[in-house]
Amino acid sequence: MTAEIRQLNKFFGNFQALKDINLETSEGEFIAILGPSGCGKTTLLRLLAGFSAPSGGEIYLDGEAVASKTMNVPPEKRNLNMVFQSFALWPHMNIEDHIRFALKNHRYMEKLNSKEMNERIDEILRIVGLEQFKHRLPGELSGGQKQRVSLARAIAPAPRLLLMDEPLSNLDAELRIEMRREIQKIHKITKASIVYVTHDQGEALAMADRIIVMNDGKIEQIGTPEEIYESPETSFVATFVGKANLFKGAWKDEVFKPEGTQLAWRQNNVTGSFIKDGIFPLRPEQIRLTKAEEEKLQGRIMTKQFQGKEYHYSLDVNGRTVIVHMPINESYEIGETVSIEPDIIWGWDKKAPEN
Amino acid sequence: MNFNKDGRLHNAVYSSFSKNLIKAFVLIIVFFIFIMPVLRLVIMSFIGDDGMTSDFYRDVLSSDRTWTVLSNTAIIVILSTLISSVLGIVFAWLIAYTDIRAKNIIQLFIFLPFIIPSYIISLAWVDFFGGQGTLNTILEWFGMASGGWNLYSFSGIIVVMGISHFPLVYLFTVNVFRRIPREMEHAARASGAGRWHSFKNILIPMALPGIASGTFIAFLGSLDNFGTPAFLGIPGNITVLSTYIYQQVIGFGTSSFNYAAVLSVVLGVIAVIGLLIQWFLLRKSKRIQTTQLDMEPRYHLGRKKYIIEFLISLFFLVTSIFPLLSMASSSFLNAYGLSFTPENLSLDNFEYVMTSSSTYDAIMNSLKFAGVTAGIGLFIGTFIAYIRVRKGGNTIRTVETAITIPYALPGTVLALAMIFTWINPIPRVDWNPGIYGSAMIMYIAYFTRFLLLQVRGSITAFQQVDIEIEEAAQVNGSKAMVKWRKILIPLILPGVLSGTVLVFLTALTELTVSALLYSSTSETIGVSILSFQQSGYSLYANAFSTLIVLTIIVVYLILFTVQFFIKRKVKSDDS
Repeated sequence: MTAEIRQLNKFFGNFQALKDINLETSEGEFIAILGPSGCGKTTLLRLLAGFSAPSGGEIYLDGEAVASKTMNVPPEKRNLNMVFQSFALWPHMNIEDHIRFALKNHRYMEKLNSKEMNERIDEILRIVGLEQFKHRLPGELSGGQKQRVSLARAIAPAPRLLLMDEPLSNLDAELRIEMRREIQKIHKITKASIVYVTHDQGEALAMADRIIVMNDGKIEQIGTPEEIYESPETSFVATFVGKANLFKGAWKDEVFKPEGTQLAWRQNNVTGSFIKDGIFPLRPEQIRLTKAEEEKLQGRIMTKQFQGKEYHYSLDVNGRTVIVHMPINESYEIGETVSIEPDIIWGWDKKAPEN
Repeated sequence: MNFNKDGRLHNAVYSSFSKNLIKAFVLIIVFFIFIMPVLRLVIMSFIGDDGMTSDFYRDVLSSDRTWTVLSNTAIIVILSTLISSVLGIVFAWLIAYTDIRAKNIIQLFIFLPFIIPSYIISLAWVDFFGGQGTLNTILEWFGMASGGWNLYSFSGIIVVMGISHFPLVYLFTVNVFRRIPREMEHAARASGAGRWHSFKNILIPMALPGIASGTFIAFLGSLDNFGTPAFLGIPGNITVLSTYIYQQVIGFGTSSFNYAAVLSVVLGVIAVIGLLIQWFLLRKSKRIQTTQLDMEPRYHLGRKKYIIEFLISLFFLVTSIFPLLSMASSSFLNAYGLSFTPENLSLDNFEYVMTSSSTYDAIMNSLKFAGVTAGIGLFIGTFIAYIRVRKGGNTIRTVETAITIPYALPGTVLALAMIFTWINPIPRVDWNPGIYGSAMIMYIAYFTRFLLLQVRGSITAFQQVDIEIEEAAQVNGSKAMVKWRKILIPLILPGVLSGTVLVFLTALTELTVSALLYSSTSETIGVSILSFQQSGYSLYANAFSTLIVLTIIVVYLILFTVQFFIKRKVKSDDS
């Protein structure tokens, strides 16, 4: 299903949760909406679902208007389904009944006879790997199993749009990585369009075809995971997604002069707004530390953390904190003064994005 | 997709005009049923034959009798509140924090005086502790005759009321204790404070608003209590505000309704002051505690556990079990004061209560009043609770507050307000629909007074169902009917039913309101037991009360069984 959002606004009393949101998605696309808590991402998802109505603007699904200031098609008439943060399983129904409920009641599901129904239930349970738990109640399942049931219920009626509201945030770290693969698999099998809300940039980068970064009710940037990570357009995206350090200074063509120095850092991949604001974003792994040299920018190491294949340092650079990740073969000690310089291959980053 | 037109029709946003019209209509109805009576009562206390006057206040407040009644009330209310608070807090602390065993059973016994009406507890205590009571008889066998304890006295009223209301304090404070994170005290200990120091400086200050709030609930309960002062105070010639108002109303003297109105305003004002203090304290308490209930014991009593368990058992035996058994067994006696020998025992008292036309009518009346109130309340109360939990907003908040008023006010005050309102529903229009004096006023009064209990029960039930559980049903396309039938009703039923049973049993055994409102065709069980006791047929009163206690126990057993079977399906779901 395609979705189009035009000039969408949402107010709660005087608080504006969404500010002029515009967005178009294509058929079968996996969209992640990424942002900190309170940025409006869940509000946007609930408007897409139809649980609340916009204060202004329109939403179109497959070209049909479903929501505007004056009308709102309810969720059950939008051919979509949703995976909830709390799983939202019905405690009095067993797993099979959850899926049966969706198959029976979903408006866009073809009517099945009882044999087809049972086959479909078994098929869905096989996809999420819960065949042997068919008769269990939600209270008898682990967190990961509950989330699988929630996914199974959502995909059972083959909705063309699948909405997911931080579906992994109630699971522990290990399980989250596993469930990412599960969701990717489901996306491949069902071919449904997915809108996935998360505050975890790892999840968004790992699974999405396109990421929408939101902050303070506005869209900061839309792009592929690679674009968002490598070419952030705003300071917020650079720091939230790439955890970048923001150096202040002045740009002249492709040369950056850090504040209070006569140095020249070269780089041709920084977007317009950074050049205008005189900011050079550098992710922790885009910085190299060397023994202190007079003619380079210097900093003092404040903390050092061992992380397996690299050390994470925090440095005090002229009163600002700078985070640097360095391979373990070069080691510096706390209190040591070191030099800092960008570690970027001309035009493109030498390291692949993580996660 | 062709749902566009359908969608428009289905979800056309209400125009704000028609929305406001509905709101206004609801508020007017609620105002008329729940708030208007109280205003009418206040007005009646100022209106004489020749219009507005403050004469009644002057008369009432200058009478010595009023001041005697007020001082009786103050003594009884303050001392019984003290007893309830100490018992309630001690039990709450033991259940919340210590590792004593059989907490569920102890809780059941704590609830006993809460679900058994206080007039029945009064009867049972007289039968056990009284001059010709069982305890005294047993002591006589051992040659230790003490003459018994005259319960028709201040001490009797105070102690019985204290026992009747301590469950309220307990219910309120046990969760206050459980909500204080144990880490608070641990942090104090880790910072070097001793056991006593951290108890005094951390636990007590955090628990105090909640505890004080529970204490005021007991205060309001004692002020409202009519059963105990009627059963113990009237024979002992000790009058408190609630019984004084009752005597004024049934006295039918000149201006007695106006005097009753003045006394009710006085009682109401004291109650409202108590209520406001309680609300204030509760708000303060809620600000402090926001965390989850912590059910694990925090103090291990070691060997002392056995001593405490023994003392608790002894307490329940002496305060509940023995008095109730004593009352039940003396119901079999052929005459009061006879000894327990086979020739003195029979089922005559029970037979009389079950077959005499007056008690039969009373039972049928109470069943009808309680059944209809609980039935209507079930739907309206659950509907209000749903709107309150899922939609919120100022309108429903106002409705909830309005519904609270008739329950929070003393029963005598409400009953009088009902009389003034329904004798002449529309002010300045001379129209008496004949509701006062008929059974109709009982239905109205019970509905007005007890609706809150259902609303509270249903609110709790809905709050336990996450909104996402409902949305999951909606997004899967279910129509409203399917959502309710398949998802919501099975989940809320156990909680909603507790509310309904509470309404039913409270209305079934109710005395205060019906004592003022009953007519020859609408005598209730409570009124019937009161008249037996007041006219000296105490064995009939005992037998009738025994049957009521058995009914209460049976109804609760049924409720627990039903809940057990519903909940067994649901199991505990921690998602």
